[in-house]
Amino acid sequence: MAKTVMVVDDDPEVNESITALLEGNGYATISANSGDDCLEMLKSMAPDLILLDIMMPGTPAKEIINKIKGIKIIFLSGVKMSEHQKSELLKGNIVDFIQKPFDIDDFTNKIKTILGDD
Amino acid sequence: MEHVKMLDEHKTVMLLVNSQLYNETILEIVQELSQKKVCYISLNKTRDSLIDLFSKKGVNVNNIGFIDAITKTIMDYPDETENCTYISSPGALTELAIAITKFLKLGFDYLIFDSLTNLLIYQKRAPIEKFMSNLINKIRNTETRAIFCALGVQEQQLLLEQCGMFVDNVVDNSKMVK
Repeated sequence: MAKTVMVVDDDPEVNESITALLEGNGYATISANSGDDCLEMLKSMAPDLILLDIMMPGTPAKEIINKIKGIKIIFLSGVKMSEHQKSELLKGNIVDFIQKPFDIDDFTNKIKTILGDD
Repeated sequence: MEHVKMLDEHKTVMLLVNSQLYNETILEIVQELSQKKVCYISLNKTRDSLIDLFSKKGVNVNNIGFIDAITKTIMDYPDETENCTYISSPGALTELAIAITKFLKLGFDYLIFDSLTNLLIYQKRAPIEKFMSNLINKIRNTETRAIFCALGVQEQQLLLEQCGMFVDNVVDNSKMVK
């Protein structure tokens, strides 16, 4: 069965293009357009990985992360962070950062590595 | 010293930039203005990442006070550290207004607002317009000169037009290419 990735981004175009990319690589996808939507969906589904945009309206990313238990999270970020801050954040279930805009090959390789499909 | 001149001529300026040139332009502005005291309001980069970037480019960061509306959205952080006030979210307009008011009392020569475009991710147009109108009125009562940066994008045309009426001058460089 295909592994499932949840893409959480308030920009519909970004959401659409990432899900298309993931599906093209054999993953099942779920889209959420806000952190609150994501939390609501997680009540009834359990993806293998969540790609979470940091800059979204509604509940701040920090609170969303605290509420997600047992699922790997990759930050999707247009936000510039220092290396120190990134290392501070890479703990618990946050496994990586992907800075937008990203290289498609780097992106898919990263997802495959994290999901053990490389 | 293009931006210094721009602000010498007009106390409040809205600068529209395209996305390709945005970061480069911001850096140029900071390099020029940081010869004097600058208040930098960041709604899209953390203060730490800005310090890293500016230091690498030889900017005197000691002249810059930051209002960082990003760091606290992603990690636990104190409300204040040296030269920086942290806001809970870019959408927290009241909190942001209070922090800016406090900074304006410190007598900064320049204020850089980075950026107006980011506010629309978190807030509706009407409260942003009200916030901007109030902020610009406050700035008029100080010695501080302000530059409001924004992406010149079609989707935000209404907000940009409205806010363009509050400032003294709008410089549209959004069609500029490298």
